[in-house]
Amino acid sequence: MDVIKQLVGRLHPLIVHLPIGFIILGLLLQWFDRKTKSHTKIIGLIYLWGGISAVVACVTGYMQYLGEGYSFDTIKFHLWMGITTAVFSFLMFIRLTEPPKIEFLKKIPVPAFALTMFLLISVTGHLGGAITHGEGYLVEPLPNSVKLVLGIETFSKKTILLEEETWKNAMIYQDVIDPVLNNNCVSCHNPKKLKGELQLNSEEGILKGGENGEIVSAHNASQSELYVRMTLPKDDEDHMPPKDKTQPTKEEIALIGAWLDVGHPFDKTIGELNMEKKLFQSFFPVSHNEDYPDIEIAKAMPQSIDSIKKTGVHVENISQATHFLRVSCVNKPSFADTDFKSLHPISKQIAILDLGGTQVTDSIFSELGGLPNLTVLKLDHTSVTGKNINALKNLAYLKSINLSFTDFNDTSLEQLSNFQALNSIYLSDTEVSRTAILTNQKTEPIEIDYGDYTLPTIAADTIVY
Amino acid sequence: MGGLALGSIFVGCDPLSSQQKNKKNKKIAFSERDLNPLATLAPPFAPRAKSVIYLHMAGSPSQLEMFDYKPELQKLDGQACPQSLLEGKKFAFIRGTPKLLGPQAKFTQAGESGNWVSNFMPHFKSVVDEVSFLKAVHTDQFNHGPAQLFMHTGGPRLGRPSLGSWVTYGLGSENQNLPGFVVLTSGGKNPSAGKSVWGSGFLPSVYQGVQCRSKGDPVLYLEDPDGISRNLKKSTIEAINKINKEEYAKYADPEILARINQYEMAYRMQIAVPEVMNINNEPENIRQMYGVEPGKESFANNCLLARKLVEQGVRFVQLFDWGWDSHGTGHDTAVDLGLRNKCREIDRPITALLLDLKQRGLLEDTLIVWGGEFGRTPMQENREGKTMSFKGRDHHGDAFTMWMAGGGIKKGTSHGETDDIGFSGIAGQVSVHDVHATILHVLGFDHEQFTFEFQGRPFRLTDVEGEVIKEILA
Repeated sequence: MDVIKQLVGRLHPLIVHLPIGFIILGLLLQWFDRKTKSHTKIIGLIYLWGGISAVVACVTGYMQYLGEGYSFDTIKFHLWMGITTAVFSFLMFIRLTEPPKIEFLKKIPVPAFALTMFLLISVTGHLGGAITHGEGYLVEPLPNSVKLVLGIETFSKKTILLEEETWKNAMIYQDVIDPVLNNNCVSCHNPKKLKGELQLNSEEGILKGGENGEIVSAHNASQSELYVRMTLPKDDEDHMPPKDKTQPTKEEIALIGAWLDVGHPFDKTIGELNMEKKLFQSFFPVSHNEDYPDIEIAKAMPQSIDSIKKTGVHVENISQATHFLRVSCVNKPSFADTDFKSLHPISKQIAILDLGGTQVTDSIFSELGGLPNLTVLKLDHTSVTGKNINALKNLAYLKSINLSFTDFNDTSLEQLSNFQALNSIYLSDTEVSRTAILTNQKTEPIEIDYGDYTLPTIAADTIVY
Repeated sequence: MGGLALGSIFVGCDPLSSQQKNKKNKKIAFSERDLNPLATLAPPFAPRAKSVIYLHMAGSPSQLEMFDYKPELQKLDGQACPQSLLEGKKFAFIRGTPKLLGPQAKFTQAGESGNWVSNFMPHFKSVVDEVSFLKAVHTDQFNHGPAQLFMHTGGPRLGRPSLGSWVTYGLGSENQNLPGFVVLTSGGKNPSAGKSVWGSGFLPSVYQGVQCRSKGDPVLYLEDPDGISRNLKKSTIEAINKINKEEYAKYADPEILARINQYEMAYRMQIAVPEVMNINNEPENIRQMYGVEPGKESFANNCLLARKLVEQGVRFVQLFDWGWDSHGTGHDTAVDLGLRNKCREIDRPITALLLDLKQRGLLEDTLIVWGGEFGRTPMQENREGKTMSFKGRDHHGDAFTMWMAGGGIKKGTSHGETDDIGFSGIAGQVSVHDVHATILHVLGFDHEQFTFEFQGRPFRLTDVEGEVIKEILA
């Protein structure tokens, strides 16, 4: 019997579309027939079918309620509205029958009936949809601005904004803990949804706890349900958030734990609590430390890139997040000074240039000086001596030059001092003596890797056990 | 070169032309990838490294004799392992109650970082400030095959693409004349899991690893057979490609383009591979630094080759060295004898590799990963419940050491901690998935977004797990 109940019940979402179809058809035909009133009989018949199918829909809906374990509260409005829709369909049928069967119905104008029908069918349908897909399913995709106008509650992510200089002044709850809870927990634990009778969107809610009692224990994370639930294995039924939901990062969980350990204060700053910096480290803004300048640049013309690639020079975007390019000649060792002009169309976009192992000579430097955004330059295994390298002096972003395995010499090395942003040079297997101490224009030391590493021969190299 | 060659194929012989006449000039758009499956693609985020050298010690080295210093274990040497540790645990060979085995090496702190390294790895101490240790890696596999598959494909069963395949698929490879994913093996044997550890699984087969040998022909069957000149080979390939092009004009299947490209790649590889695989043209001081043994199959040779390949723009170089399965069944597998010999075989080459990459400015662009498929027990193995004459350790997945170095990795640090005897992780535990997530992160990927659609669902290297180990990122 249960099987039949469930099976018939599950047909409900299918069958509901019959009364919807009939009633809408009836409404449309009434509009079409509004002047001549010559099809009243057939329209009435459509409403009769609508009423009958609505009854079937109500019965199957009731079966589904019994079979699928919905609570009555969830479905009651939908059920009553469904029954009302069925009743009104029959009333409409009777109203349209000639001669009229029930006299007082005559007094109500047909358009008023039609409007009621339309409202009933829309509201009932929407309530049904909300049961199947969840509350707010329909409006969820709307942008927040529209939702605000419509008075729909919005969920907005809060970000933790901490700065290297001011992190100690941030309020531990308001600036750190609340955003974590907001982004990971509050979509279920808010005054409306109240899952587990718990609210995590306010101090009161957190202190009040949920259906199983308190969730925070003074000065002890490992006895606070709030923390313990987050640290249970994901497969554990009690793990929070549920495993199919977005999970907090381990840094966020650590923060919650640390906050509970210091007694879950709501109105103290991080500094007052003497909390460790490393807890917050991963929330500091990431400084730009890439191999390309921290500026926006126009995209290079795809045709220019294609024609450069046809010459055998390798060109690639450094990442999908930037238009800066990396250019390398690993497939074109024959690249020489005269080939450089082919790179002119992308001179602004080149950030990393690898000319290692090519035929370029010292006359390449004046050309390289015309690459305003050059950040990393590789000239290893070439015949450059460094004469004219001064042409690169004012490149604002050039931070690394690889001159290893070249004839680079001390005279040239001196020129590298006072380069604008340079901070690393590779000079393995060159003529230079290892005495230079260089700084750039920002007076930061330039790190020089002289290379030529060797490994001593030691006894352990040959002892066989 | 590749761009040129491909360009020339299509100049004056547009494979679409005949078909287009019937189809109202309907253009079929091809990405560069359709024509060349190894064409480079930009990663979603700025990469910290562009190549990977993965050093896998097949058989699994003993962390307790190399990097995880446990003085307490020394004190407990010879005592019976507490029953509480053994409950619910499964071991490959240990039966009954084994005895604890103290470290068979002497440890000192090295470098400015003061990380512990044993006297089995004396040279390595000089580069310890370059690496980030992971001291509490764990795996759920305790047999070589499944554990190696897990470590390289993210799953213990066959069928998934290897790490190198994912990376080559995601990024392509810069050098048009060399494979994007090269595998080099030493120690006399392939890894137990077989070639699936560098297989492409459900990814297109062009992304599988190409095994090169450091002894004999680097790639088998690459050399022209007797009586076949390079010119004849060239015209053969041209004829085959001509047929393929006709086929392509008929069916417009991009797989055919990939095939055409593969023939051309093989032809170019005939020249490029022997050149890059020849360690004899390296200067004497470099060869000495690595301790190469020309003409032999050796880990040192492979380390030098790895550097040469990465220098030439190869994306992923995978090294396997066999012989680390120190059970103590004989001299070669004793943790105080055979293991020490194995350590000697890798100590100098790995140190040289790090230094050589550094002096070429390549270390900042290359991610180095070192590890086995699991670790080894703090207990002495007692095969069949008997006391064994050599000191050995059984397979152990609960806690073991790996390290990373190079592009994007913090210098001279150590993350994670094991208990007093090195049995379980007690802090900073990381899973194999976490290691994978971190490798992909360094290369510019979000491991959760990097997927391949197969059998009706998107697949990830890290399945549904994995967190980037931020503690070791620079």
